[in-house]
Amino acid sequence: MRVRGWLRLRGLVRSRRFWVTGALFLGTLAGLLWVSGSAGSMAVIQRGLARITGALLNILGHSASVSGITVGTEAFGISVVTACTGIFTLGLYLLAVIAYPCGWICKLFGVVLGAGGVFLLNLVRLISLYYVGIHMPQHFDVVHQLVWQSLMIAFVVLLWLFWAGRWTHASRKA
Amino acid sequence: MLRARRERTSGIWKPASRFACIFVLSLVALTVVWPRIAGPYAVAIEHVVRPALHAVEATDPSVVHRDGSEIWIYRHIGGGRVTPVVWFDRYAFFAIVPLLALLMATPGLAWRSRGLRTLGALAALFLVHVAYLVISVELLYAASGTRSLEGWQLMVRVLWEAAPIGIWVAFTAGAWRVQLKRWMDGSKARCRAAAPIGASG
Repeated sequence: MRVRGWLRLRGLVRSRRFWVTGALFLGTLAGLLWVSGSAGSMAVIQRGLARITGALLNILGHSASVSGITVGTEAFGISVVTACTGIFTLGLYLLAVIAYPCGWICKLFGVVLGAGGVFLLNLVRLISLYYVGIHMPQHFDVVHQLVWQSLMIAFVVLLWLFWAGRWTHASRKA
Repeated sequence: MLRARRERTSGIWKPASRFACIFVLSLVALTVVWPRIAGPYAVAIEHVVRPALHAVEATDPSVVHRDGSEIWIYRHIGGGRVTPVVWFDRYAFFAIVPLLALLMATPGLAWRSRGLRTLGALAALFLVHVAYLVISVELLYAASGTRSLEGWQLMVRVLWEAAPIGIWVAFTAGAWRVQLKRWMDGSKARCRAAAPIGASG
C-alpha cells in the first residue's frame, strides 16, 4: 500500500502537469498578494465597484453619488475598502480551482465562473449593506462582519462544489 | 440528451441545496448566540495571548487588556505609562461562526465524528486567532519607523481570512472525497440510465 502510494507520488512528480499546475498555483497566489498589496491596483478595483454600486443604487431610485471609493446618498454612505472587494475570497476559490485535477479549459471555466459569481454577489452585498445601514443601522456591524463574510465563504464553497461536481465531470467525459 | 444533462445537474443540486440550507440555518442560529460566545472566547484568547506575547518579547513591552469582547494591546512607554497600540474587536474572531456552520452542513459525517472534528477544528482556529494577534502586534512593532512590512501584514490578514475554510477543508477532506465520489458515481449512473439507447458520451 505504501509502495503504491510512493510510486503514485513519484509518477505525479515526474509529470509535466504537476509542475505546470504548481507554478500556476504559486503564480496566482503571488499575483493575488501583489494586487491586494498594491495601492494603485486596489484603488482601481475599489473605485470601479463603488461606481457600479452607485449606478445600481441610482437605478433603484436613490440619488447616489460616488466620490473615490465612497458611495452614498444623503441618508447613508459606504466605503469600498480592500476587504470589501471580495479579493481574498475569490483568491481562495481560484487556488482551489487551479489545484483541482481537471483539464485547462475546465479550469478556465472555473476561474470565469468564480470571478463572475463573486463579483455579482459582492454587488448584492454592497447594495444590501446600504439598505441595512438605512433601515437597521443597529444591525449593520453584525450583517457586515458576520453574516456577509460567512455567506461569501459558503458561496465560494458551493460554487466550487458545483463546478467540481458538474463541469469537471462533464469535461472528463468530453 | 437534455434529460441526461438535467439528471447530471440534479445529482449535484440536491446535496448542494441541502448543504446551503443547513449552512444558512446554522448561520442564523449562531449569529443570534454570537454575542454570548464572543465574550467568553475573548477571555480565553486573552489568557493565552498574554503569556504568548510575554514569551516572544524580550523586553516585554506589551500589555493586554480585555474590554468586554474586545482585546486592546498597549505598550509601555516608560515611567509606568502605557499607550494604546492596536485593538481587536469581537469580529476579529468571527470565523467561529462560518466554521461551525460549515461543519454542521458537511454531509456524510456521523455525530461522533462530527463532534470530534468540530472540537479539533475549534482548537485549531483558537490557535490561529492567538497567532494572528501575536504576529499582528509584533509586525506593528517591527514595521514602526521607516521599515515597511506591508507584504507580511497582508499575508497574515489573508491567512486569518482563509482560516475557517482552510481548517474546515483540513478536518473534512476525507468525508468530502467520499461524498464527491458518491455524487459523481451517482450522476454517471443516472446519466447512463437517462441516455437514449445507442447514444454516446
